Amino acid sequence: MVKEISEKIKESIGSVEPVETPYDQRGYHLSIEATQANIVDITGFFDRIGFYLADMCCVDYIDYLEIVYFFNNHSKVCRIRVTLKVDPERPSAPTISHIYKIARWYEREIHEFFGVLFEGHPFMTYLFLHDQIDFYPLRKKQVPVPEKDKRLLNSFNPEEQEDGFFLNLGPQHPSTHGVLRVVVKMNGEYILSAEPILGYLHRMHEKMAENRTYQQFYPNPARMDYLGALNFNLGYVTTVEKLCGIEVPERAQYIRTITAELNRISSHLLWFGAFVADLGGLTPFLYTFDDRENILDILEAVAGSRLTYSYFRFGGLFNDVDDDFVKNVKKFIDRLRSRFSMYERLVTGNVIFINRVKNIGVMDKTYPLKYGCSGPVIRSIDIPFDIRKHEPYAAYDRVDFEVATGTNADNMDRYLIRIKEMGISLNIIEKALNDLPSGPIKAEKIPKKLKPPKGDIYHTIESPRGELGVYIVSDESDVPYRMRWRVPSYSNLMTFPELAGGSLIADAIATLGSYDLVIPEIDR
Amino acid sequence: MAIMGKELARLIIGLIGVLVVVVVNALLLTWAERKISGHMQKRIGPKEVGPYGLIQPIADGLKLLAKELLTPVNVDRPLYYLAPVIVFIPVLVSFIVIPFDGYLQVKDINVGILVILAFSSLSVLSILIAGWGSNNKYSLIGATRSVAQNIAYEIPLLLSLLPVVFMANSFSLRDIVEVQREGWFVWRWQFFAFLIYFIAATAETNRTPFDLPEAESELVAGFHTEYSGMRFALFFLAEYTNIFIVSAIATTFFLGGYLGPVLPGFVWFFIKTYFLVFVIMWFRWTFPRVRFDQLLNFSWKILIPVAFANLIVTGGILKL
Repeated sequence: MVKEISEKIKESIGSVEPVETPYDQRGYHLSIEATQANIVDITGFFDRIGFYLADMCCVDYIDYLEIVYFFNNHSKVCRIRVTLKVDPERPSAPTISHIYKIARWYEREIHEFFGVLFEGHPFMTYLFLHDQIDFYPLRKKQVPVPEKDKRLLNSFNPEEQEDGFFLNLGPQHPSTHGVLRVVVKMNGEYILSAEPILGYLHRMHEKMAENRTYQQFYPNPARMDYLGALNFNLGYVTTVEKLCGIEVPERAQYIRTITAELNRISSHLLWFGAFVADLGGLTPFLYTFDDRENILDILEAVAGSRLTYSYFRFGGLFNDVDDDFVKNVKKFIDRLRSRFSMYERLVTGNVIFINRVKNIGVMDKTYPLKYGCSGPVIRSIDIPFDIRKHEPYAAYDRVDFEVATGTNADNMDRYLIRIKEMGISLNIIEKALNDLPSGPIKAEKIPKKLKPPKGDIYHTIESPRGELGVYIVSDESDVPYRMRWRVPSYSNLMTFPELAGGSLIADAIATLGSYDLVIPEIDR
Repeated sequence: MAIMGKELARLIIGLIGVLVVVVVNALLLTWAERKISGHMQKRIGPKEVGPYGLIQPIADGLKLLAKELLTPVNVDRPLYYLAPVIVFIPVLVSFIVIPFDGYLQVKDINVGILVILAFSSLSVLSILIAGWGSNNKYSLIGATRSVAQNIAYEIPLLLSLLPVVFMANSFSLRDIVEVQREGWFVWRWQFFAFLIYFIAATAETNRTPFDLPEAESELVAGFHTEYSGMRFALFFLAEYTNIFIVSAIATTFFLGGYLGPVLPGFVWFFIKTYFLVFVIMWFRWTFPRVRFDQLLNFSWKILIPVAFANLIVTGGILKL
C-alpha cells in the first residue's frame, strides 16, 4: 500500500520525494515535503485516491513555519504526513479548503494561532480567539497582529451581514450541552443556514503543553474531554510512550483496556440520556445516570477521581486493581446487560421517538472524506472505521471484538450504534478481565525527567467520539516543543451546517444531539 | 330584587370558592408533579419542607412572590404586563359551570360546555400576547406554535364532545352527568370520543408530548422565557388549572362526573379528575416530544376525520 502510493504520487505530481518512515516510531508511513506550488496538487491527489484529511496543524521552528497535513485512509491504515515550509516574515500558503471542507476550520485555526494567511480561503475569521488578542499565541517569538488581519478576523457579524431572521442556539441554551453557539438563519420553523461559533471554552491546552514538562501535562487531557477523560489520558500517555520507546507491562495494558472501555460506556450512557432529553423525554436521563454512577464508583476506587481522571502514567498505571474491582466490574456487566432490554422497550421502540430520529439527519456518503469525521458518526455511513481495530493500542489486538455499523446514516443509526457499542464494550471488558495477566503494572526505569528523542510523532486512539490524534514535536528537552490535539467532535460538528440547512429546527437539534458533542474538547 | 341579591351572593361566594380551589389545586398539582416525576425517575422528590414535602409549593410560591419583577428593556410594556393577567380569566370562568357535586356548582348554565370552550380558546390569546410582547425570538416562535396547535386541536376537542351532547340532549354539564346514571358515556359507545378528547386536551394544555410552545431543548422556555417572579407563577398556575379543567370536563362528559357509590359525590369527582391528571403527568415523564409538523398532521389527518366519523355515526344512530 505504502509503496504503491509512493510510486503513484511520484508519477502523478513528479517533483515530490516521498520518504518512507518507520510507522512504529513516527506513527505515519510516508512523509512528503511539499512546496507552495504543488501542495494543492498533492492534496487533490489524495482526495482522488480516497484519503481524508485527518489533521492539519502548524509548527513554529523560528527559522520557518511548517504546516503539517496528515492524510489517512478509512479501509486500510496508511498515514501520510505532508509538510509545507512557510516564510515566518510573511507567512502565507494556498488554501486547500475547496478540496477538503474541514480545512476551512483548520486553516482558520492556524491563521489565528500562527498568522499564516491562506490565499483563497472564503471565510478567514476568528475561530477560537476573541478580538482583543493582538499577538499570535503559538508563535515562539512574539509577533504583533497586522491591522489588515485584525479587520479580516472581525468580519463575521451575522446580524449585520445579511437580512433575515436569526436565532442563536447557544452559548447559553439548553440544547447545546455546553457553550457551543450556533447562529441559525431561519424561515419560520425551517433553518436556512447554520454557522457554529466556537471558542467560548477555549483554554489553549496546546500552549499550556509548551510550558510544562510531560508529567505536568497529565491532568490536562482529562479537561479537554471530561466524558472520555480516560481515553484522552490514554491517548496522551501512549503517544509519549511511543515517542520514548517505553515498553508497557502486559497487565497494565489489559487494565488500560478495561478502564478505557468502562469510560467509553459511561460516556455513551450520558449521551444516551442527553439525546433523549433533547427530544423531550426527560426520564431516561436519570436512569442512565443511575447506571453511570456504578462506573464512576468503580473507577473512583482505582483511579481516585470520578470525572477527570489521570489514571494512566508513562509506562503503566497509577494504581493496581484489586479483587473488589474485578468483582464489581463483573457485577456491573450483568446489571447493564439486563438494563438494555428495558431501554429497548422504553426508548427504542417508542413510536414518537422513532418518528423523531428515523431518516432525520441523513449524512451523505462523501462526508467522511470531505470532513474527516469519525467515530459512531462515520460508522453510521457503513464505514467500519475504528482505530481500536485498525491501529490497535493497549490490549485491543488481544481481545476479539466486532465493530458496530449502520447503513442509513441517520440519527437512528447513530443512536443504535452507540447502544450496540456499549454491548461490545461490555464484551471487551469481560474478555480482558478473564485474560487479565498478573505481573507488574509499571515499566521499570522511567526517568523522573522525561526527555524524548528529537523528532515528531502522530498517534491516534479511538475516543468515545471518534479519532483522537496527538501530534508531539520533541526537541529533546523535558517540555514538548509543540503538542497538537486532533479532536473528534471538531470534524464531526463541521458537518452540522450541511445537515441543518433546510431542516426543521427540532430535527436540527436532534441531529446536533446525535453527534455526542463535548464542547471543551472542540475548543480545547 | 331579592332573587337578584341571592344570585349575586351565590356568585360572589362561588368565585371566592373557585379562587381557593384554583390556588389549592395548583399547589397540590405542582407538588404531585414533582413527587410523581421523582418516583418515576428513581428519585424521591421534595421531602424536606413539611411532611412528604407538602409545604414545598407554598415555600416556592413565597419565593416567587418575593422575587423582583424583572422587565426586560425592549418589551412591549402594555402587552407584557397584560398577558399574565388575562391568562387567568378564562380559567376562572370555566370553573363556574363545572359541577363538583349535585348541588356544588356555582351556576348551572344551559350552554355550560359552550362557555368553557369559548373561554378556554381565550387562553391562547394570552400566550400570543406574552410571546409577542416579550420581544424575544424564542417567545415568538413558541407563541406562534401555540396558536397553530390550539387551532388544530380545538376542532377535535369540540367534535369529540358533541356526540355526548347529542346523547344527553343538553349542553348543561349537570344534565350530562345526570344522564350517565344509566352508565358512563365512556362505556356507552363513546370510547373513541373519550380517547380523542383526552389526546386533544393534552395538546390544548401544552403538555408533553405536545409541549411545543415551551419546548425546552428548542426554545428555552417558549412564550414565558422572559417572565420571572409572580408573572411567571401566574402562567404556571394557569397551566396546572387548565390541566385540572380539561380533566374535570373529561370526568363530567365521559366518566360520570360526581356519580359513584358510597362516597359523597364531590369525592368521586375529585378522584376521577385527579386520576386523569395523573395520567397526563404520566405522559410527560414517559414520552419524548413530537415534532411540529407531526403534531399538526396528527390532528388534521387522524384526529379530526375520526372525530367526524364518530359524530356522524352517533348522530345517525340516534336519529334512527
